[in-house]
Amino acid sequence: LQLPLSLLRTAQNHPMLVELKNGETYNGHLQSCDTWMNIHLRDVIFTSKDGERFYKMPEVYVRGSTIKYLRIPETVVDMVKNEVQEVRRHQKDMHKQKKTYGGGGGGGGRGGQSNRGGRGGGSGGRGGGGRG
Amino acid sequence: MVNEKDDSQRKKKESIVDLSKFLDKKVRVKFQGGREATGILKGYDQLLNLVLDGAIEHLRDAEDPTVIGDETRNLGLIVARGTAITVVAPSDGMEQIPNPFANADE
Repeated sequence: LQLPLSLLRTAQNHPMLVELKNGETYNGHLQSCDTWMNIHLRDVIFTSKDGERFYKMPEVYVRGSTIKYLRIPETVVDMVKNEVQEVRRHQKDMHKQKKTYGGGGGGGGRGGQSNRGGRGGGSGGRGGGGRG
Repeated sequence: MVNEKDDSQRKKKESIVDLSKFLDKKVRVKFQGGREATGILKGYDQLLNLVLDGAIEHLRDAEDPTVIGDETRNLGLIVARGTAITVVAPSDGMEQIPNPFANADE
């Protein structure tokens, strides 16, 4: 149950607030994130640590290791439940398909090996004829 | 089939941000420990190591080290170590604005 990163992935394109360990805050829309919680925000408002200075920037990249916390709209939390269920269903289907293919592939492989042995002997003979 | 599953789990080894659009543009980089620098991005790699040309370090106020003051020092052509970088943002398009949040925080 990887809840924190799934929540973050689900929150893509949603606005959020990010506070860094150094106290600065970034308000913006989540463009993308990765397994290390590095994030790329768009249309960002940066608030300095003292809450006195504000800057607007088109985008920022923030290292996951420097994040203290993120504030996400509540609507996203509801979306996560549905997405997690769908991902589990998808994985179940993949497992089912894998099993059936695995059985058929095993039988085909055995047949192929015996054929290769026969062809190998045949090509050796042809090679000898060419040299002569 | 296996590739589909990997895509859903993001098998990408690429960075989530495409730094190529910042090449030859001024970027503002913040570092672990509170240092800040701006410079023209000349190069980068997957580990977020950056090559900045004409880099300028923005020094902090002598009285309050948490505030970035007006003083600067020139660094020239530098390689910024990706492991120490905390924030990367384009310097162009960054403008100071008055408090955008209507509610008073205090």
